[in-house]
Amino acid sequence: MAWEKRERGGRYYTRSRREGDRVVREYVGSGPLAELAAEDDRTKRELEEAQREREKEELERMEALAAPIFELSEAAEILAHAHLIAAGYRRHKGEYRRARG
Amino acid sequence: MPEDRSGALELSEETKDRLAELRSLSKRAEAGEKEARKELRRMVRSSSEEVIGRASDVGRRAGQTLARSASGGDPLVEEALFAKLDYMRAQIAGDDPTPLEVLLTERVVSLWMLTTVLEVLLASQYRRSVGEGPERLSQSYIMQQSRILESATRRYLAAIRELARVRKLQGTPPVGANAPRG
Repeated sequence: MAWEKRERGGRYYTRSRREGDRVVREYVGSGPLAELAAEDDRTKRELEEAQREREKEELERMEALAAPIFELSEAAEILAHAHLIAAGYRRHKGEYRRARG
Repeated sequence: MPEDRSGALELSEETKDRLAELRSLSKRAEAGEKEARKELRRMVRSSSEEVIGRASDVGRRAGQTLARSASGGDPLVEEALFAKLDYMRAQIAGDDPTPLEVLLTERVVSLWMLTTVLEVLLASQYRRSVGEGPERLSQSYIMQQSRILESATRRYLAAIRELARVRKLQGTPPVGANAPRG
């Protein structure tokens, strides 16, 4: 979204959007209606930005909740594996078998 | 047990170092190094109970933090969730569990809590996202949230399998609805 200066004076409001690989520029206009369109676009952009920020914070919160439990899970796996290996088992294709010798 | 930081939801550096050592020794023992197996046995006897206790403690606190978060500040819901977690612990661990069984039980219970919380969050947010308006959620957000849930669910199922496997190999009778009677 941008205001373009015209050679004859005055400003012209334009919007750009992507269509496939191309960027298409739409000429909205000038004057009070263009001011309104620009204001509307700015509000939409701000709302989208705030939404992205909320989503990012929410994901970080979820990851923070999950992290200690994932860490515990990994610790438990290491300890269970160590116990079984120490008890004389070996792992073969994901299954434990009594080791020979 | 002297866990380094009261209320911490993270394993201490010392515990992490011991775990890394256990992992390395297990790997060498599996590869056939007899000395490594001996050293692993010694380490399992001498220090694993303490490490297990510390990890169980962190797991219990993480489960409680999740329950607190899921309760949304309602003390009644929080108490009900704590009671549910305690009930699950008792049911899954059974009578006189070994320290390793306690840890594996804590892992199952806290992962159950995590998957439940994530499923509820995802379901409520999905309802919002299918509507129109400013509350509509982005596709990438839903995808990332689903990825965390999928990861938790996979770990939860693996935790149940691991506990059953350890019990079977250690000769502990199974507990729960399918336990043999008499």
